[in-house]
Amino acid sequence: MTLNIANYINGMVRIRIKGIMTERFVNLCMAQRILLWDIVKHDNDLYASMRLNDFFRIRPITRVSQVKIRVVAYRGLPFLIKRVKQRKMMLFGAVASLILLNIMTSYIWFVDIIGTKQLSDTMIREIAVQNGLRPGSEKNTVNAKQIEKKILLAIPEVAWVGVSFSGTRAEIEIVEKTMPREEDKAPTDIVAGKDGVIIEFIALAGKPMVKKGDTVKKGDLLITGIIPEQTVVDEAGQSIKNNVPPQLIKANGIVKARVWYETYGEAEMTVFHHERTGNREMAINIKIGSNQIPLKSAKLDPEAEFENEVIHKKIPVWRNSGLTVESEINIYHEVKTLWAAKTTEEARDEARTKALLAVQNLVPETAQILSRTSEVLDAAEPNLVRVKVSIESIEEIGRSVAILGQ
Amino acid sequence: MQYRKRGLQKLAGILEIPQDIVLDLPRITMLGNQQLLIENHKGIIEYTPSLVRIKLSRGELIVNGNHLMLSNLQVEQILIEGTVREVTYDT
Repeated sequence: MTLNIANYINGMVRIRIKGIMTERFVNLCMAQRILLWDIVKHDNDLYASMRLNDFFRIRPITRVSQVKIRVVAYRGLPFLIKRVKQRKMMLFGAVASLILLNIMTSYIWFVDIIGTKQLSDTMIREIAVQNGLRPGSEKNTVNAKQIEKKILLAIPEVAWVGVSFSGTRAEIEIVEKTMPREEDKAPTDIVAGKDGVIIEFIALAGKPMVKKGDTVKKGDLLITGIIPEQTVVDEAGQSIKNNVPPQLIKANGIVKARVWYETYGEAEMTVFHHERTGNREMAINIKIGSNQIPLKSAKLDPEAEFENEVIHKKIPVWRNSGLTVESEINIYHEVKTLWAAKTTEEARDEARTKALLAVQNLVPETAQILSRTSEVLDAAEPNLVRVKVSIESIEEIGRSVAILGQ
Repeated sequence: MQYRKRGLQKLAGILEIPQDIVLDLPRITMLGNQQLLIENHKGIIEYTPSLVRIKLSRGELIVNGNHLMLSNLQVEQILIEGTVREVTYDT
């Protein structure tokens, strides 16, 4: 291996030895310590490889052994250098491209801003541009620390900012502060969102209008945010007009009530479903622009039932031409209707499942369910099972409603 | 001459010196039938792809085979590669 590398660096030649006494030439080479390898004979000519240095020493030997030498191939660094010298422009191009690459990579080509949620990228970009970070600016002149500081000072919503470079790309990473949500201070009332019987009533702010045990209807006022003029009774029993004017506040409170829900579910005793028989017919239309060309029309048995399946195939937009070429394939599957009877239990279960599904949409997730009952009703039709599901729950029924007239 | 050689051989045996050095004999190493390494030779007499004749200190070595190639040629050793069929020692 090392010998191979050494040979490559020094250069090697493959020669053709022509003559009668080729063996003598080989022996003489050996005696002169000229290394030969890969000696092969082809059509009375001997081919051998040797080092380039040795090649310049074989002239006396050729004279003695009366052979003719011809170089057939050469390999190695000296020949490569010679070739490069002959093609100076190639070397120049290689060097120029390296220099160009070096220059190009010392500039910033892209500025990316990541991590923004509420803030706009343009605002941050503007600050970056003001401080010399824009596509086209030199990497060495950009002071990342200073830009970080400037952005942090200019935008109070930013919690942390990091400017980093990866290749020709500058990255501004923003971490936003999570600001506390501003509460709505507008005056509101608390009204009932559902019918029910109040079992827990705590007015935190505002004037209570109902009390525990009351039955309320949807829309009834529970806690009002309108505080009337306050009157204070002094020791003498005389009412003194207080100078507190009527106030409007945001009413708040906990109103829990017992709420009932009722839903119905129905199921038929017999069901039918379609089953494909396997017979099918196909109709193919081609649409070019607004013209429709039927390629194949379906021959349908008028007595059979069919399921229709339509497949649209469109040629992708080709050179933005407005012409649409579309094929429409109608597949008609022949179907057979099958009837199946269900037991009463199955039908009842199905009806109950339907009813429970319906009631689940009505009851909020936070509600505490007290009882759940289901009963089978007598249906008018003989083919029908009807189930009623009723649920009793305790839940928060208070809803904030803005006081109008403000 | 014969007597002297035998004496030398005996001496080499007693002193545990490798005999090829003492007696100027070639050392021939074969790797299967693909490689044949001859050390301590005196040059090649004839070379064709099917026959290689190598001069030794006494006599010659005839190698028969196919696609024979002298892959390394030095003063001390010759490496023959190819398919060796026959190695004959001719004195």
